[in-house]
Amino acid sequence: MANRFEPVIAAFCCHYCSYTAADMAGSMRLSYPPNVHIIRVPCSGKVDAIHIMKAFEKGADGVYVAGCLEGDCHFKNGNVRAGRRVEYVKKLLDEIGIGGERLEMITMSAGMGELFARTASDFTEKIRKEGPNPVKSLPGAAVRSAAG
Amino acid sequence: MITAERKPMEEIMGYVEPCQRILLVGCNECVTVCAAGGRKEVGLLSSALQMAFMKSGKVLQVKELTLERQCDPEYVEELVREIDGVDAVLSMACGCGVQEIARRFRDKPVFPAVNTSFMGASERQGVWAERCQGCGNCVLGLTGGICPIARCSKRLLNGPCGGSTGGKCEISPDVDCAWHLIWERMKALGMEKSYEQVMPARDWRTSRDGGPRKIVREDLAL
Amino acid sequence: MGNRISSSLSNRVLVVGGGMGGIKTALDLAEAGRDVVLVDKAYSIGGFMTQLDRTFPTNNCDLCTISPFLSESGRNLHIELLTMTQVTEVKGEAGNFTVSLHTRPSFIDVSRCTACGACLKAFPECVRFTPGLDHRAPTCMRYPQATPNAYSIDIKKCSDIEALVKVCPAGAIIPDDVDRNRSLAVGAIVLSTGAELFNPDVLTDFGSGMYSNVITGYDYERILSASGPTGGILVRPSDGKAPKTIAWIQCVGSRGARPPYVSYCSSVCCMYAIKEAVVTKERFGDGIEATLFYMDMRTSGKDYELYYQRAKDEYGIHFVRSRPHTVEEIPETGDLSITYATTQSSSLEREVFDMVVLSTGFRVSPDVVALAGELGIELNRHNYAKTSSFDPVATSRPGIYVCGLFEAPKDIPETMVQASAAAHRASTNLTVSPKKEKDSEAFPPEKDVRGLDPRIGIFVCDCGNNIGGVIDVDEVVKYARGLPGVVSSERIGYGCGRDALSRIVSEIKAHDLNRVVIGGCSPRSHETLFQDTVRRAGLNKYLLEIANIRDQDTWVHADRPGDALDKAKDLIRMAACSVALTHPLKGHTVPVNKSVLVVGGGVTGMNAALGLADQGLKVFLVEKSNALGGVSTQLRRTLEGEDVRAYMETLIQETLHHDNIQVMTNAMIVDHSGMSGLFKTGLQVGPRWQYRQIEHGVAILATGAVPNRPKQYLLDEHEAVMTQLDLEGVIEDAPERVRGWRRVVMIQCVGSRTKENPNCSRICCQAAVKNALRILELNPEALITVLYRDMRTYGFQEDAFREARSRGVIFERYDVDDTPDVRGQGDEVTVLFKELILQRELELTADCLVLSTGLIADDEVTEELSMIFRLPRTTDGYFLEDHVKLRPVDLPVPGFFVAGTAHSPKTIRESVAQAHAVVARAMTVLAKDTMDLGAAVARVDADRCAACLICVRACPFGVPFINAEGYSEIDPAKCHGCGVCAAECPAKAIQLMEYEDDQIMAKLYGLLERVK
Repeated sequence: MANRFEPVIAAFCCHYCSYTAADMAGSMRLSYPPNVHIIRVPCSGKVDAIHIMKAFEKGADGVYVAGCLEGDCHFKNGNVRAGRRVEYVKKLLDEIGIGGERLEMITMSAGMGELFARTASDFTEKIRKEGPNPVKSLPGAAVRSAAG
Repeated sequence: MITAERKPMEEIMGYVEPCQRILLVGCNECVTVCAAGGRKEVGLLSSALQMAFMKSGKVLQVKELTLERQCDPEYVEELVREIDGVDAVLSMACGCGVQEIARRFRDKPVFPAVNTSFMGASERQGVWAERCQGCGNCVLGLTGGICPIARCSKRLLNGPCGGSTGGKCEISPDVDCAWHLIWERMKALGMEKSYEQVMPARDWRTSRDGGPRKIVREDLAL
Repeated sequence: MGNRISSSLSNRVLVVGGGMGGIKTALDLAEAGRDVVLVDKAYSIGGFMTQLDRTFPTNNCDLCTISPFLSESGRNLHIELLTMTQVTEVKGEAGNFTVSLHTRPSFIDVSRCTACGACLKAFPECVRFTPGLDHRAPTCMRYPQATPNAYSIDIKKCSDIEALVKVCPAGAIIPDDVDRNRSLAVGAIVLSTGAELFNPDVLTDFGSGMYSNVITGYDYERILSASGPTGGILVRPSDGKAPKTIAWIQCVGSRGARPPYVSYCSSVCCMYAIKEAVVTKERFGDGIEATLFYMDMRTSGKDYELYYQRAKDEYGIHFVRSRPHTVEEIPETGDLSITYATTQSSSLEREVFDMVVLSTGFRVSPDVVALAGELGIELNRHNYAKTSSFDPVATSRPGIYVCGLFEAPKDIPETMVQASAAAHRASTNLTVSPKKEKDSEAFPPEKDVRGLDPRIGIFVCDCGNNIGGVIDVDEVVKYARGLPGVVSSERIGYGCGRDALSRIVSEIKAHDLNRVVIGGCSPRSHETLFQDTVRRAGLNKYLLEIANIRDQDTWVHADRPGDALDKAKDLIRMAACSVALTHPLKGHTVPVNKSVLVVGGGVTGMNAALGLADQGLKVFLVEKSNALGGVSTQLRRTLEGEDVRAYMETLIQETLHHDNIQVMTNAMIVDHSGMSGLFKTGLQVGPRWQYRQIEHGVAILATGAVPNRPKQYLLDEHEAVMTQLDLEGVIEDAPERVRGWRRVVMIQCVGSRTKENPNCSRICCQAAVKNALRILELNPEALITVLYRDMRTYGFQEDAFREARSRGVIFERYDVDDTPDVRGQGDEVTVLFKELILQRELELTADCLVLSTGLIADDEVTEELSMIFRLPRTTDGYFLEDHVKLRPVDLPVPGFFVAGTAHSPKTIRESVAQAHAVVARAMTVLAKDTMDLGAAVARVDADRCAACLICVRACPFGVPFINAEGYSEIDPAKCHGCGVCAAECPAKAIQLMEYEDDQIMAKLYGLLERVK
């Protein structure tokens, strides 16, 4: 077990549903792998393709965007937009050989603490099988400057 | 607006493969509006390229910059401050922008990151369609505001061909028959008569066939 | 203390009792701009709930949910808090009472005490602390986040007063503190005096007080509590051994025939016993066997039945239907042997447990009975305040209201409902209009932090064992000190407690901090509190970031403390990276529209409409059918015998003729936009379905439920088969038919507690009992048999159940897997069922078969409205409230409230209470002239904008437009703050405040820093 790969996973969770579900998992004391790190956004539709790309660029092994169930989005359809965007970025990740399967869109309602915990476990296992993000094990960090 | 689409990553990678440092330049005009080469796409491509390099054990330094308009020399001049030390420039602007950079910086290779597609309009969010081919001799006044040159697959000038069925072009059921549209519109405008007017063969010299074109406004071009 | 009475003081409400109910009443009134005096005889407020470990049905830790309320009431400018104070006399009448108060000395200057604990260390016997199993719990305040956060001195027990005074570094001890009397003018009084628990030591059969391993449910809560005597470790009192088998015995002191038993049901013990058993399994492992001995499982609250089923199926808790005979101790081991009988066997069973928990119920304390006498309010025969079903929080004396346990035994959500209801009813006696908000004056000016390098302060809560029990908080604190920009880092215990909050303020000032990170619980519950705190310290409230190291770390990774520690560091680092990039923001305010949309014209909707209309607000009452009244028009009498039809007629007339109410029948809601304070809702109103749009500040959903009518047991096929609701009509309109009946059979739980509809309909047991008694009134000879699964006559309904039994109604239990069979036989029906004691089939031939079909959600209506209004629903189609315990009538969309059976099945009494409650909740929005919309709005950088229209097309609410200058403009008053435009903008010209890209990236980089 000592050498078991522990992936680093970033989960963008919307305030109204999935972040609440994550809190719910807490109040229900449901255990899930600590690999998942939650970043709160007001709506899954706020998650920019660049946020996802940068997460991988900086070495995340997996990323998921968690929004409300379809039809339940507090902002009408932010979750649907997020889903489309995730599909777009998955293709780009495939193109550059990182692998689109490291990225997922997930939906759940605020009350689904158990689903949150289960998703976190399942996704962690899935990424564990995928292995480390191929860009992070390599020497030399990317340097970049944005001038405009 | 001029529309464009990002090139496949493989092709872009092919251009910048030998480089260690590049300048990635977007344009805040047409390619921003058609979501092909604005600040956001620049950020995405930059990230994708860096990851692709890291994956093959190399490092690519990317400087990102989005100009107000890449087809104007004054804006392109802003690159002077950034261009030293880069191995190449990768442009996300239309072909005009790429060429403007190539003209200004003769010693730097310039590569296109997008395929410039056509002059078009947005049908709805995320969908753009061709509307104009820049023929230099506009006939829209005779065709009810629908261009048979840009929108008929055969550029016919006097009504549809035999391949028009149910308002669609024979090349694809997704393509409207331009002449069907023209007829419907003329009917709606009560202009059926002008449909019968025969358009003579066109003088294509105003279009690309006359060689590269140029517009000079004497009053402005002092 | 003398005459502080001035002319305008009848604008105040006196709230007696600072438990959950009293706090909620006080907060609702204060939020609506009313002044409140809150008195409690104890030395800190919080009452009973603060003693509990976790509460059903969410199994949350109470302290975590209640502490923001407590801190809030402590700092609310409209609330004057008087502890150790009792009411001695009340003169005058509604609108103009004069109250005499007596305050005992606390020997401590509360404003000076910092709760440092020095007095306790030196003189432990002098410090007051009296919760259950008092072995001097870790902190001697009543609970860790006590309000006021100060110790209290018992001077009589102190031998060396001089030394005690000296030991206090703050000089807060006042040895010559004296009793004080004060007189106060108030417009109304709310009694939220709570109840006490039955002491089972007076019983001989269960060994309470004799055997140390027999404890009460309350003692068990204290053992489970992190702030309790064992620090939250489960051990039994006799030998400190961890128990492996635990038994709960229900109805101890309740549902009995003779004193010291009371006859009523305490309503909450079934749920709390299940909760204790589930929490035990959750926290101390599956190895523990939990067994519950019960008579009827009364889980009739919203989704409570599901909780019960989970306890059985998922947690493997054993439920034994039996009232045990005796509990005996095995002297050698201290184990306990329970003797009991079940229907399955003819002989007595005996089983040994390590520990026995007695589920004891509520009693009104003699103090409260005396107070009621002083106030001249009527009590019922159990000493609870007497109220009517149609005005459930009003006592017999006008101007005096009651909420919570003193009205009847009830759980927390119902107490919260009544507390809000009491706030509304009390405010009807206040003549003076509320004062304008003065809160903003209390804050110091904001410090300008622009251009300054970040000076970050990190504050890490331990939240008792919640965080501190899993990870080494000090290590996190130490680690945080090394993060860039961090100038101070410290541990603050329960960060949401009053004293921690003031410490944060003083630390911000002392270290000249300009950014703050709190490592604690979820920002969802505590962000506002901490934002206020940094604001009090002179910082803009958006210079704050909360790292959720409890709900999303220690609570979910308790099994891997090492990883939990790493993750806490990660979360703090991410927050610190992100907070450095925050900048001051200003919230946007808009004027509040003072009209109300009430959807549903039944008993609930009309009561809510009248309540609001009486407060001077314009109400639009929308009803989809062609008349007001709803399901209640089919009811004739309440269980208590009140005339429902007469009541409904008056209610309908009052509603129709009220100047401030516009009733729209045959009306359908078709569209909706806007936000709390400024909604717009479109309607189509019959008969011509004309469209009209209403502008309103809040919306109340009182759409009701529908009587269930399942195709079962020959319903609608045989003349003799009817529902309880049908029977109401027959009894009133065709009594001669009832007089002709020889035998009546009732079947309970028809269409409820089944696979298709797993919840309990709550109202059917009392309806069956009520109708059985009414049949007997008309026809004393009738033989009535009720086939039931659990009789759920909670509270005082139990008296009627008892009366029905004594008058010969036969109650026979049937099993869910072996439901009765019904066959038609001419005019009669034959009911076959399995008698569980005889274990044989019995056959009854009845002239009338009554099915208790209960209510089901009006699925079509709630589905449609939930789509239009974007509201969540429960799986069975009721609207889902924002917080099932603490905000039972608030919906998650701000400005939306729910009441009545649209929330869950309930009686008229309970529906009216909710109707009154939503009025108070709505007033907290409508009493304000402006609404703070927060700062999370999209902002466009005009220089970058390419006017591409992508934001215009992407915005779900159609807010952005391209302005005359040619760039996109987003009106902050209309922006909902989702950030879709920011994510889609191809020029990266839009930023969503509070969630700017660089802040999100900083979090990502903070997280991934360690990866490289």
